Amino acid sequence: MSATVIDGKAIAARMLAATRVEAAALTNEGWAPRLVSISVGDVAAAELYVRNQSRQAERAGVGFEARNYPDTISLEQLTGVLQGLNADPRVNGIIIQRPLPQHIPVKALQRAVHPLKDVEGMHPASIGNIVYNDLALGPCTAVASVEILKTLPLKIEGLDVTVIGHSEIVGKPIAFLMMGLGATVTVCHHMTRQVSVHSRQADAVFVAAGRPGLVTGEMLKPGAALIDIGINRIEGPDGPKTVGDADFDSCAEVAGWITPVPGGVGPVTVATLMKNAVLAARMQMEHYREAYRAAE
Amino acid sequence: MTAEIIDGKAFAARVREQVAAHVERLKADHGITPGLAVVLVGEDPASQVYVRSKGKQTVEAGMASFEHKLPVETSEADLLALVRKLNADDDVHGILVQLPLPAHMNAELVINTIDPAKDVDGFHISNVGLLGTGQKSMVPCTPLGCLMLLRDRLGKLAGLNAVVVGRSNIVGKPMAQLLLGDSCTVTIAHSRTKDLPAVCRGADILVAAVGRPEMVKGDWIKPGATVIDVGINRIDAPEKGEGKSRLVGDVDFASASEVAGAITPVPGGVGPMTIACLLANTLTACCRAKGLPEPAGLTP
Repeated sequence: MSATVIDGKAIAARMLAATRVEAAALTNEGWAPRLVSISVGDVAAAELYVRNQSRQAERAGVGFEARNYPDTISLEQLTGVLQGLNADPRVNGIIIQRPLPQHIPVKALQRAVHPLKDVEGMHPASIGNIVYNDLALGPCTAVASVEILKTLPLKIEGLDVTVIGHSEIVGKPIAFLMMGLGATVTVCHHMTRQVSVHSRQADAVFVAAGRPGLVTGEMLKPGAALIDIGINRIEGPDGPKTVGDADFDSCAEVAGWITPVPGGVGPVTVATLMKNAVLAARMQMEHYREAYRAAE
Repeated sequence: MTAEIIDGKAFAARVREQVAAHVERLKADHGITPGLAVVLVGEDPASQVYVRSKGKQTVEAGMASFEHKLPVETSEADLLALVRKLNADDDVHGILVQLPLPAHMNAELVINTIDPAKDVDGFHISNVGLLGTGQKSMVPCTPLGCLMLLRDRLGKLAGLNAVVVGRSNIVGKPMAQLLLGDSCTVTIAHSRTKDLPAVCRGADILVAAVGRPEMVKGDWIKPGATVIDVGINRIDAPEKGEGKSRLVGDVDFASASEVAGAITPVPGGVGPMTIACLLANTLTACCRAKGLPEPAGLTP
């Protein structure tokens, strides 16, 4: 094994510590950052995520309230709830937990969150800002993946990057973030004829396709950075386990750096959510003060 | 010379005919006339030409054209007030604020004040995000025109290697989104790209939008590739006489056309498609506003 294994937990701990300082400063100004998490119906499905977010929020000094609504709630009622939260100055960020019941389209809810409170970075305006290179609130997983790459001793300008997977919340925003930083980005997906042709050229590979074992060592350029965003539950010889989209052992032989699953992108994603929470609180504070000054 | 020349002028004329026929039906069946408002601030000569041309083609397509010419010293507040008035005007389905705006105005704020549903240029931040998340949006005219030309020549684009040279907000980035939407494998190359010729040589579809005259050479092109040249550059043409100039694209047409399978000329390639797509977007915006089915083939 030649690759350096990237310690996502350590990166997350540094981010949470920095966020905690920022959160304390905002609290002193009367703007204690606070998140509200919304889940609908079956609590168990999202419970693991909610509990983890709540714990990390505590580490970051960010308030966290988990709300659950029965799955009989209508889209109109939920939108009403969001409008209430949008208008409530004590709430700085809104998280919409998935899965949602069939009758609640997730995109409609994401659009209903005020862009200044969109800590998940899912509102079209947030995505639009990413495309236009204004990195206010970005989708957490994409931002976390890029933050991890930025910790490596690589010059990003001119870097050849391949992104495998073109989902709207991970693959595509990573592509635009990296492009904004000056990388030459190629986006591959299930219709790509031969992914290895592209991935073997790349100094850095991001994989977010949701397919265990998709990336193997011979698909990588020796010394490349591999950021594995996949989270797949598979049956192992010792019972179920969580793996990424990369075949870790063969990739670690060839790559220069590799993120493990678990313990790679995952913890940094939650830390990014907390960073977004204080960022959102600060933007709201400034927005409010500006409006106040204008009214005077 | 082997490449087929993609006749953007003829294709744009067909798009305009299609728009006009649909507008005719809207009038006859529903009594609706799609309307496009174009706002020009100041007297930039190039902008004046564009605005005149847009207005003329809007009327030729049977739509209503509303031109608002404001003096260069207009305040930002007055321009924003006009945009809000047009947002509220039911006869206006598309609003275009001609760029560039005078230096004392915040163009981003002005564009983001346009109702996204009427933003026929597709520059509003919400439209950018909607396109980025695969949702219904208004799509910028030039890349939409390029997509139409590509589909017309190649049929299905899925699985093809596409390279977009240039990462501008108005062409390169939306072009990449549209090609991804059609399941191409997309590379976005730009001035920082290490080996641009090698990247371009991998492309089945090459879109050049960098604004550098004749930068892409024939030996950068994979034999048989489809080349879309978005650049419009004016260069000196002493061979035509003293002080004369001519228009060239970002692709060196003479050498590229010996290698490519098909190529758009400059002028007469992508250029005419832009206004045709503006008309198409206005029609689309009108149909959406009225809850009517959208015309086929004019949206991604």
